[in-house]
Amino acid sequence: MAEEKRILVVDDEEDMIWTLKNCLNHQSLHAEIVTAASGEEAMEVMEAEPVDLVLTDIRMSGMSGLDLMLEVRNRWPGTAVIVMTAFPSPEYKQEVLGRGGLHYIEKPFDIVELRQVVFDAVNDDRSFTGTVVGVSLGDIVQVNCLSQSTSALEVKAKQGDGVIFFVKGRIVHAESGSLSGEEAFYRIMGLDGGNIASKKVARAPETSIDKPCEALLIEAARRIDEGGRDGAVFDLDALDAEDPFPALIHEKDHSSNNGDFRADGGDPQQSQAQEDDMDGNLNDLLGEFTTIAGVNTACLVGRDGFLLDSTATMDVDTEMIGAIASSGFGASESMGNQLGKGKMAMTMIEYDQGPVIFSPVGDEAFLVIVADKDSNLGMIRLKIKKHAQAIIAAAAI
Amino acid sequence: MPDEGKILDIARVSFLNMIKEMITLGGVAAAKGGLIRNALACADRIREVDYPDFDAFVAAIGNATNPITVIEGKAEHTGDGVFGLPDCPFAPAIANYTEVFGVLPEGYAEFTAEFNKPGPATARYRIGEGAGVSPFCAVHQPLRSAIGDKITIGGKKVRVTQLGCKSGAGKKGFADRLIKEAGVAKEVVDAVLDNHMCCYHVAVE
Repeated sequence: MAEEKRILVVDDEEDMIWTLKNCLNHQSLHAEIVTAASGEEAMEVMEAEPVDLVLTDIRMSGMSGLDLMLEVRNRWPGTAVIVMTAFPSPEYKQEVLGRGGLHYIEKPFDIVELRQVVFDAVNDDRSFTGTVVGVSLGDIVQVNCLSQSTSALEVKAKQGDGVIFFVKGRIVHAESGSLSGEEAFYRIMGLDGGNIASKKVARAPETSIDKPCEALLIEAARRIDEGGRDGAVFDLDALDAEDPFPALIHEKDHSSNNGDFRADGGDPQQSQAQEDDMDGNLNDLLGEFTTIAGVNTACLVGRDGFLLDSTATMDVDTEMIGAIASSGFGASESMGNQLGKGKMAMTMIEYDQGPVIFSPVGDEAFLVIVADKDSNLGMIRLKIKKHAQAIIAAAAI
Repeated sequence: MPDEGKILDIARVSFLNMIKEMITLGGVAAAKGGLIRNALACADRIREVDYPDFDAFVAAIGNATNPITVIEGKAEHTGDGVFGLPDCPFAPAIANYTEVFGVLPEGYAEFTAEFNKPGPATARYRIGEGAGVSPFCAVHQPLRSAIGDKITIGGKKVRVTQLGCKSGAGKKGFADRLIKEAGVAKEVVDAVLDNHMCCYHVAVE
């Protein structure tokens, strides 16, 4: 049994304290929840007994959440801080992250999502090794980026090994054999089997990479596509019990996905056979998108709006999505034509509850991806790029 | 500007212009889908009917009591399930528009080419694929096929297939694949279109 964590919830709204306390009193967190109704009271609680994590509202009378965060950073540097706000703004977010906040979440939030953020935060200082079944190395890199992690990801495989360094979610450096920088990163991403270990580090030994995570992953995927590579799968035993990363575990069902990291010595021929099978099945290819956390619907729609195929994890009228999406897609494309912007690559409409993404696939159809708020957009884009040709072939368009 | 003294039938003219707007705003494919869905929505409102035999079905076409005649008027059965429609239901709208403005709106040719492309809707309703000669075919043809889906003969489903169509200028369009699938000779369709504007096939499944 892991050591019990101590989490301090700070909010000047009694109802919110009650809600959060109930939400976090979950066996997956294995934590003692203590509360404070103000920043000042929070300081007293921590002076009496330190905590592992502070979950604080940003706007409170007296000491604000940001002030509290600074105090915690100065006096208890090992304590993680998550800042919540009902008044989201890029400025707030920047300020929180700039002041070293671990996470920033907006109210109202999904309870399961919050629990996972808290889980990540209180376990941030633990290195881990093992295998995660059905999850690509790209997925793990993405998780590091999205969680604003400052860490080193060690990858060991038969063909070689390497380390990728993240600073606040940015990939800043990589080393593999005699290579360093981007080339080392691409080499690591091309490894096809082995182990990973994620370790918390204060900083990277140097900064040799200055590209967004997404761009690096896309280039890595392109190189893998061109060079060929068997997939590989991690199996992280420690995360099995409470399904804390449902998206990663769900990937098990799609382990034939090209690019999965396989540490179990899986049969490459079998892997290829599964991949070939998936290539021929449009619905399986669309299912690749609904394995991404928060993506609930993936449709392939003819440009006239008639549905070619779809997969959905919730009850939605995909025929209607197709019909409406064709107008949106057509309008986006027409605007590009009017403005002389050339061929449309992708468009996203962001709603309160999450984005809808359109992406042309071939000349006759487009993909519609419906996702929840805070879904991994980089992963969605990556999968669109990765599977576009196979979708065209499977749909015969 | 409309010519002086010409009377504009705005109900029709606005529909023709709306097609052009749809093309401009969303492209020909989205416009095509929009018109087809519009037609299917209309068909949804037509009642279901069963005829005891094919002759009764044909008789109902002849006396304009068949649901298909509700949308296009009487058609002539030329034999073996092949029907010819003497008049295009959109002809008055086209005539009025061209009488006033001289030419049809821009984008119609591109739209028509798009309609003739094979796709899920054209396959499902057995339309287009060469049988389209104007954007109006994207309304008329799926509407007729969808109404056909509501008709049974002796309890068996009816399958309506578009074989060809003729523009006001006399240009014929043939759905070669659908003609073959229906088991009709292209010469027959050609001959029907000599004296009719639209040619379709009705089969009992």
